[in-house]
Amino acid sequence: MSPQRYRAGPLVWAGVLLTTCLLLAVFQKVLWLVLPFLFALVAYYLVLPLKQRLVLRGLSHDSAAVIVSIGIFTLLGLAMLLSAPWLSAQLSALQSGGGRYLEGGLRFLADTLAGLEARFAFAARAQIGQAVMAGIGDFIENFAARHLADAALAAAAWFPSLLLIPFLAFFMLRDGWRFKRFLSRAVPNAFFERTLHLLDRVDRTARSYFQGLIKLTVLDAVCLALGLWLIGVSSPLLLGVATAILAWIPYVGSIAGCLLVVLVAATDHPGSPSVAYAAIALFIGVRLLDDFIFMPATVGKSLEVHPLLTVLMIFAGGAVAGVPGLVLVLPLLGIVAVIGETLGAVLSDPRLRARHRFAKALLQRQVTRDLQG
Amino acid sequence: MFRLFNTSRPSALLQQLGGLSLFSELSPRELKIVAALVHQRRMLAGEVIFDEGEEGQAIYFILAGQVTICRQGEAERPIAVLEAGQVFGELALIDGGPRSAQARAASDCELGVMFRGDFFNLMESHALIATRISFGLARHYASIVRRLAAGGAQP
Repeated sequence: MSPQRYRAGPLVWAGVLLTTCLLLAVFQKVLWLVLPFLFALVAYYLVLPLKQRLVLRGLSHDSAAVIVSIGIFTLLGLAMLLSAPWLSAQLSALQSGGGRYLEGGLRFLADTLAGLEARFAFAARAQIGQAVMAGIGDFIENFAARHLADAALAAAAWFPSLLLIPFLAFFMLRDGWRFKRFLSRAVPNAFFERTLHLLDRVDRTARSYFQGLIKLTVLDAVCLALGLWLIGVSSPLLLGVATAILAWIPYVGSIAGCLLVVLVAATDHPGSPSVAYAAIALFIGVRLLDDFIFMPATVGKSLEVHPLLTVLMIFAGGAVAGVPGLVLVLPLLGIVAVIGETLGAVLSDPRLRARHRFAKALLQRQVTRDLQG
Repeated sequence: MFRLFNTSRPSALLQQLGGLSLFSELSPRELKIVAALVHQRRMLAGEVIFDEGEEGQAIYFILAGQVTICRQGEAERPIAVLEAGQVFGELALIDGGPRSAQARAASDCELGVMFRGDFFNLMESHALIATRISFGLARHYASIVRRLAAGGAQP
């Protein structure tokens, strides 16, 4: 008799999709906790192999977690210290040039629209350039009055919860294994082996997703920085890293990243729109590389979900929880799918349920032996 | 608060693991590494540990009590009765095949369970422990072969 691999049916999948959407709706309400938790999870899975290596060298979990945390904080501190002058120069250049970049971008857009009007009669008749520039001008003029105070308040409210990230990451590193033990101890004997398998799969899915996400970000950042440097755009590394991180938000993040790159390219080379077009082409090229080569090789491997369902769930995530939903939906779907599939395998197995009932009957008989007449 | 998750008795477990034939060659430091990967379960007499044909995800160590190995549905005619200190379930773990027989607790017993992923992770990342456990397993199989050759039951 050979064990057959369980395949989740439509009922389990319906449950998985519904649970994912419900969790997204709940998470949106406690976003101040969910986002630091998510970033802490990324940090945890990044440094977990180091801790595991130390544990396998004979150190206790606590000592390994402390050593790894101290090491990482020291490295980060040194990196920040060393890169502070460069980073502050880059940021102050971007800050002082903020208005300049906006102007450059608007000029590029106006030139492009004027070119369109000159080439196509319908565009000239519709006065596309004038309409678009008027709309953008109105938005920019009212943006500060409408949104700046809210944005400043939100940033102030978010700052303390972001301080939770290193805290959460440290405790995950130190006590994560205890928590898994604690969970597995609550599982009845009949389901124990399968549940260990479940915990291992959840762990592997989350780990490969977050580690894949970091690899994807590094690949994106390197490709974009290299391309921007080649076409002569300023601050290529900073722009590459910023756009690669923005790409964590499906669709919206990519558009924002592209916009950022075009603004800088158009401002750096006001007389030659070809640089801005080259930046757009580079961006599209990297996105295609990302979607067809990098993503399947990094993040895609971790989610055993059909690509069509993945895309539909991204839209559903956006509809249920907005931009945070777009970020959270894929890792959540991957983990809920693994849990749903394994719970389906455990709970729909009549033999395991029968063994559990038998074990309960044995226990009942044992504890009531002296009570029977 | 995290003492909530930490209810194990590591020193007792270390002693019990040190008494296992598979780990007899390991140093106390190496035993500590192994112990961190072992889950403890208590079984009642008669309880099924795993069924024949099931996918094997773990290796079991008998820390206390007895376990019978039998064909499915033939519990009254055991193939072998295993005692504290012995190992079972390793065959399916090594060859990735289904469990070749059913395991049931013959008495109330305490088992150590090591999950497949943890076992292979340990073997891949710690050469010395891997060598010693491999020798332990080889000795275990050699004793089975000798017993079979002498016409005895397989433990």
